[in-house]
Order: sequence, then C-alpha cells, then structure tokens
Amino acid sequence: MARRYRVSSPEKLGNFTPQDAPLYADVLQCMRCGFCLPTCPTYVLTGRERSSPRGRVALARAVADEKLEFTAAVKEEAFFCLDCRACTTACPSGVRAGEVMEICRSQAHAFYPLGKVGKGFREFILQKMLPSPALLETSMLPTRLYQRLGIQWLVRHLKVLKLGPDWMAKAEGMLPNLEKPLRLQLPERIPAKGEQRGRVGFFLGCVMTLMYPGVSRNTVKVLAHQGFEVFTPRQTKCCGAPHLSEGDRETARQLALFNLDLFLEQDVDWIVTDCAGCGAALKEYEELLEGAAEHEKLARFRAKIRDISEFLIEVGLRTEGLREVKTSVTYHEPCHLCHAQGVSAQPRQLLRQIPGVELRELKEASWCCGSAATWGLKYSRESQQVLDRKLANVRDTGADLLVTANPGCQLQLAWGMREAGSSQEVVHLMDLLGRATPD
Amino acid sequence: MLSKNVLQQLSDRLGAGNVLHEKEDMLVLGYDSTPGVHLLPDVAVFPTDRDGVLAAMEIANQEDLPITPRGSGTGLSGGSVPARGGMVLCLNRMNRILEIDEENLTATAEAGVVTLDLFNAVAAKGLFYPPDPGSQKISTLGGNVMEDAGGLRGLKYGVTRDYVMALNCVLPDCSVLTTGGKSVKDVAGYAFKDLLVGSEGTLGIITEITVKLIPPPKDKRTILAYFNDIRTAGEAVSKIIAAKIIPSTMEIMDKATINCVEDYVKIGLPRQMAALLLIEVDGHPAMVEEEAQGVQAILAQVKAAEVHVAKSTEEANNLAAARRTALSALARVSPTTLLEDATVPRSRLAETFAEIERLTLKYGLKVGTFGHAGDGNLHPTVLCDERDADEMKRAHAFYDDLYDKVLAWGGTVSGEHGIGLAKKEYLARQIGAGGVRVMKRIKDAFDPRGLLNPGKIFTDESSEATVHGKEV
Repeated sequence: MARRYRVSSPEKLGNFTPQDAPLYADVLQCMRCGFCLPTCPTYVLTGRERSSPRGRVALARAVADEKLEFTAAVKEEAFFCLDCRACTTACPSGVRAGEVMEICRSQAHAFYPLGKVGKGFREFILQKMLPSPALLETSMLPTRLYQRLGIQWLVRHLKVLKLGPDWMAKAEGMLPNLEKPLRLQLPERIPAKGEQRGRVGFFLGCVMTLMYPGVSRNTVKVLAHQGFEVFTPRQTKCCGAPHLSEGDRETARQLALFNLDLFLEQDVDWIVTDCAGCGAALKEYEELLEGAAEHEKLARFRAKIRDISEFLIEVGLRTEGLREVKTSVTYHEPCHLCHAQGVSAQPRQLLRQIPGVELRELKEASWCCGSAATWGLKYSRESQQVLDRKLANVRDTGADLLVTANPGCQLQLAWGMREAGSSQEVVHLMDLLGRATPD
Repeated sequence: MLSKNVLQQLSDRLGAGNVLHEKEDMLVLGYDSTPGVHLLPDVAVFPTDRDGVLAAMEIANQEDLPITPRGSGTGLSGGSVPARGGMVLCLNRMNRILEIDEENLTATAEAGVVTLDLFNAVAAKGLFYPPDPGSQKISTLGGNVMEDAGGLRGLKYGVTRDYVMALNCVLPDCSVLTTGGKSVKDVAGYAFKDLLVGSEGTLGIITEITVKLIPPPKDKRTILAYFNDIRTAGEAVSKIIAAKIIPSTMEIMDKATINCVEDYVKIGLPRQMAALLLIEVDGHPAMVEEEAQGVQAILAQVKAAEVHVAKSTEEANNLAAARRTALSALARVSPTTLLEDATVPRSRLAETFAEIERLTLKYGLKVGTFGHAGDGNLHPTVLCDERDADEMKRAHAFYDDLYDKVLAWGGTVSGEHGIGLAKKEYLARQIGAGGVRVMKRIKDAFDPRGLLNPGKIFTDESSEATVHGKEV
C-alpha cells in the first residue's frame, strides 16, 4: 500500500484544510470491529471511545464528512494519541490510525496557529535547531557542563526543579550522563574486520549522537566486526521524526529530501540505524515524499533501510569470537520497531545468540512505555501510569538487565527505574552486543 | 437537546466523570460494528455499579429519554446503536469479576467484563468458559448475553445461552430482577433468564451474570483441510456430522477470505485454494485420536486437496486467531463490508454455497464467505462501497434472494448476531406477523413506555418509527 497522504489536493476533503489532509479511503477503511481497543494505551487509561483508535478514526471521518468541524477536541485527540502504532499491528483491516492522527496534528497547526511566542519557539526548535547537527551539539554544551560541575547532583538531590512545572523536572531527570557527541568523533569511514560482507551506511540519529554516543559507537564496532565497512556521513540531518510527530510535515519533507540524496550518493548496500524512531521515519520517506521525489529513488532508498537487529539477523550474526556476557535480560519492544516496522522477532533472536545471555520474556513486551517523543512530557501524569504498568512487568521478570532498542524508550525506562529505586539497569541491545564483541 | 438540569442530575447521581455529552463523544458512541448505522445519542453515562444503572433508569423515566445499553460496541446488527437518540448507557466501567466458585463450577461477573478476561481468569483456576465470539478480546459479557453471541466452539459447546445460569438486571420500571441461580436445575415459573438472553437490550439492563464453567478438554488436535471447490468442503462438513463426530470447531473460509486473512497474518495460508476448513477435535486423548482419524478418513474420501495436522499448540492457536480476524480482514478489500448471518440445517451446506455463488454472479458482486460451517452458520460478506448506491442496491437484493432460500430450507436469518436494526424485515419474514405481535406483547409487558432500546428487533409502531435518532 503506497499512496497514503495527499500532500495537497485541489479538492478539499470535507472540513480538512487541503494541505496534508488524510485520504478519504483511509478513514473509510475502518469497519469498527474494535480489535484495536484493548491494544490502545490511551483507551485503556481513559475508557473513553474518542481516545481510542476506532474513535479517533471516526472523528477524522466525521471531519471529512463535514459532520464535525476540526474542533479543539479533535486536535486534543490527535496529540493525545501516543502514535505507538499498536493499533496498526492489531488491525486486520489495515487501518493506520496513528498515521491518520499524525496528519491531524499537522492539520491542527493550520486550524489552531500558536501565539507569536509559541510559534517562534516551535519554529526555532523544529526548523532551526533540529535540522542543524552543529547547532544541536552547541546547545547541549551547557547541559554537559551542568552535569560535569556537579550542579545536576545538587539539583536532583535538593529536588529544586520539583518546584517548577512537572515536565521540566522530568526532562531534567531523564538526562543520562552526557558524553561528547559522537558525530564529530566518529570517522566517516570505518573498515570491515575479517572477511568483508558489504558496505553499510550508518544513519546516526540526533538523540543517539547527543544522548547515547556510547551505544552508537558500539553499533559501529559491531558492524565492523561483523565484516561490514561502515560509512557514517557527517552531514546527516535529523530524520524528520520529531517534525512528523509535532505536525510539521513540510520541514520533515525537506530533511527527508536531504538525507535521501545524501545516502543515495554513497555507494552502500544497506542503510542501517540503531534508533527505532529514525528507522520508522526513514522507512516512511517513500510515502512522505511521494510526488516530491522520483519514485525510483524512493523505492531504492526504502529497499536499503534496516534497523540494526533486522539487518544482523538478515545477514546472519557471526558468533565466533563473541565474548560471554553472563547476565539475565528481558526485552522491551519499542513501538516504532515492533509496530511501525514489524521488527519483533529479530532482537530476541540476537539476544539468544549472545553467549551467556539468558532471555526472559516480558509480559506485554510490545506495550508502549509512555515515552512517545514529547508525549511523556506533555501528558506526564498519564505517561507515569503507562510507565508504571511497564515497570511492574519488568520487575516480575527479575532479570538483571532491561534491554531495548530505541533512545526514547531508554530515557523513559531508565528514568522510571531510577525513580522507583530499581537495581535493574536499562541498556540498548547494541550495548549488550558491543560488550560481547571484542575490540 | 437535553436540559442542563438533566445533565446536572446525572452528574450528581453518577459522578461528573461518568457522564459525557460533548459532540465528539456522542459521535463515537452511536455506532457499533454494523455498517451503515450511525446515530447520535444526546448523553452517555458510565455507571460503576447497579445503583448507577438504577439512577440512570430513574432519570430516563422521568425525562422520557430512550435508553440504549452498550458494551464495547462490537455488535453486528446495530443492537447498541441509539436508534432514537437519548441516553447510551455504557457498561464498560462495571468490569469486575465478582466470584469464581470452584465448588459449583460457576463464575459471576459484572456485565462490562471483557469475554477473554473471564476466559483467562477461569482458565487460571483450571476451568473453561467456552463461548468465544470473534471479538472476544474486547466484547463484553453483557453484550454477549444480550445478543446471545456464538463463536468458534459453538458446534460442540453451544453458545452463550447455554452457559448463562443467573442474571441480575434493572427493568425499565426501575425494579431489580434476579433470575436463575447456581442450581443446575430450575423450573420455578417462567424462564425469564432464557427470555432475557438474546433480548438485545430491549427488556432490561443486565448488571450481573453468573455463568456455568466446565472442565477444559484434556487434549485437542487441529486439522487444516484445503479444497479445490467450496462445495466439496460443504460436503465434508455434512459427512463428518453424519459420521457422528462432533468437532469442537469446524470453520470455513473461501478463497477471498483466505487471501485477506493471509494479507494480515502472513502464516502461509494457501492463496490459490477455493476453500479451507479449520477443524478441531478435543476431549480425552483416546477420543481425540479416534475422532481425528475419522475426520481425516472423511477428508480423504471427499478428496480434499491437502490435509495438514497442526504440529504444536502454538500453530493451532495461530490458526484459530487467524480465523477470528476474517471479517475485519475482508475490510481490507473494500470500504464497506456488509455481512450476514444466514444459518441453515447442516445437510444444506453444499447447496447454500452453490446458491451464494449463483447470486454473486447474478448481482455482479464481490463476496467473501466464511463462518461456522459445523453449525451451518455462514457469513457471506459483500465487499462493496457505501458510496455506490447501485452496488448497495444489488447487495441488498443478494441478501433478499439468499434469505428466501435459507428460510425455505428451514434456516434462520440470524445464527448469532441478532436482529437489531439491520434485520428487522428478515425477522418478520421468518416468524410472520403473528410472531412479531407476540414479541411486541412481551416487550410491552416489560417496557410499557418503550424506553428501552426502542426501534430494535421489530418496527415499533406504537411509539412511531418515523421519529428516528439524529442521523450522523
């Protein structure tokens, strides 16, 4: 199913604005069987039909049918949706409620423009900061200093920030120990070790380079050790996921066009990422850019994109020489990996191949952790409830480590564990594989 | 439009968080899974206990407000659609399992408990609640009782009705009726319980249900058979029954359904085959062995194209889960899926398939058929587009003709979905004007003011059918 969005249309769809409107066929597709309801975290939290995938699609249809204006409640539901895509996995009819809501977010900005200050701030973040790797890195400098000088320790222990609005305290609390961003340290080309199996373009995501440079360093190390020459273009820009999530589809398109050309210019067999959010966005370029780039280019790009675990299972993990990592683990499935990309078995297969690792299955492993880009900060109370459900299941496994494969999840889960005083450590799958891989 | 006063009263009695009246909420509480019916209520309430239901009923009486009960809105005949507007009474917040009585083998639960949750809770105690409608992971027990829902295990284990032992309900006059109990025998007076099961929310609002539990089968085997001709599959079903083998499940899917389901589940179903039968036999291991042999012998005899036995429980569960998605998966093909519930005596299955094929050609439609072949209960589903008026007309003509045949063969217009809004005319055809009159008298005895789920099952002339809810 290609043809998903209409970038703009001469005919107006009901009460939607013409720019980036959903397709009528997409909202009509829902036959209201309700199979999505028990899989939707916001429906389970509220028990309110309009906060369910079926309800949200029905609202979008009502707007398309001109039975409802694009009201504040529609906007609210578009943003209250976690965009976790669990409903996409559950839907036998192929309805993609999360994506319809993503489009409604961009509609919301047309109907409810922000005030001057808010608009300026939003544009600064989405259109200035995020598209520029260098600006992002500079902006993180004070934060790193703040940690290094011990101010963070003071702030956390004196609970100074708790006085401010909740989200700020949470955002501060979520920050991992920051190292230098990886982007400028990582050589653009890293040779393969042993018998070479191909060339990989590594898509280094913004959150990975800034917050988890150690993880991506491991990813590259693993790729090289597995026999792949790794090319990481320094010019790589943000994948556009934050823009899609915030409803700025136009900037997302510009970033996508840039990355598309950048990676297609390289002579690489695959494009691999270790960030589930980036992976999902990259795989959607084909639809996002339909009409904005040649179809052949989009298809070629799409055919190369892999999540790291999907890739390693596809090419086959070379296990000889891997060191033993004696530990018990459980695996939390990032929504943007299992639901948005359908990659669910591969991370578990990888874990089982690491010598010494005992994998314990997590109950409701594919249930969202409540992070969901900025959702966890906007709806901090609801996010906590979603997180608590997850943490209880993690606790029940008694595993030493909680493994995941997406920085958003990792930030939220590590924060939740710290707050709950848990001794279970949260790690990225590639950190674990990195530990097993000789230097 | 409701007065502020009524909303205030409802909020005072039920709690402000349990009353909704904004347009966006009304828009999504006026549908179920039935295509083409979508009407707006004026208010929705979410009682958390029986007193809340009573309060809502009192206010509805005082305000002359129609009241339509709703579970998860997964019905397939429009039973929970507020045909005359008014109040939708959502029972989802009454979702406690109150008791699992291992001495009497019963479970008691509130009406809003999800079917699968009850199944899992009793399974954890080594017991079995067999009714398993396709929507079991979200459908509510109350909804199952009101529509007398069936499921994949109906052939051997029966339907919801066969498990209901006691009901507690609020009647339209605000009295509370308890009927039935944990005694396995009970002939005291009229069987209200049996009348209420399948009454589609027109007689009372169920608040609590006690169901019968049974020990789970010790063993089971799942067999998958493929056919080059759907009529051969029908023949196989009739022959298995005639051989006095009662499998727990005997489900059929035609080619269109197989392909849609495979598009979704991707478990390697045979796309090129005309039909498949999913057969499960269960019980004591020795009996399972014998029955499985018997089934396989018949499949060989009718020359099924291929026969496979599931190698693991996981594989068997995946097949059953795949079958449950059939209806929703068919919705991949077209914007609208019109589904029917025709049920015939099992000896007529092969003829029914032939008739469906004939009518599909006659009306130039796309039809996917699946269903509980062992029960003679088929779901021929027209894959169409509600925006195409001509196609919709042909679809209705298709069902008109089909039901003529089904009734002539001694079948029924609804095996398990109920009449609701969707099949009133067909019911009148089946039971005749006299039958409808008696049903109306029963309705009047319970609900003289016609407040409870008006407009369902039969056309309600007394309160005048022309006054419809606001169409969405």
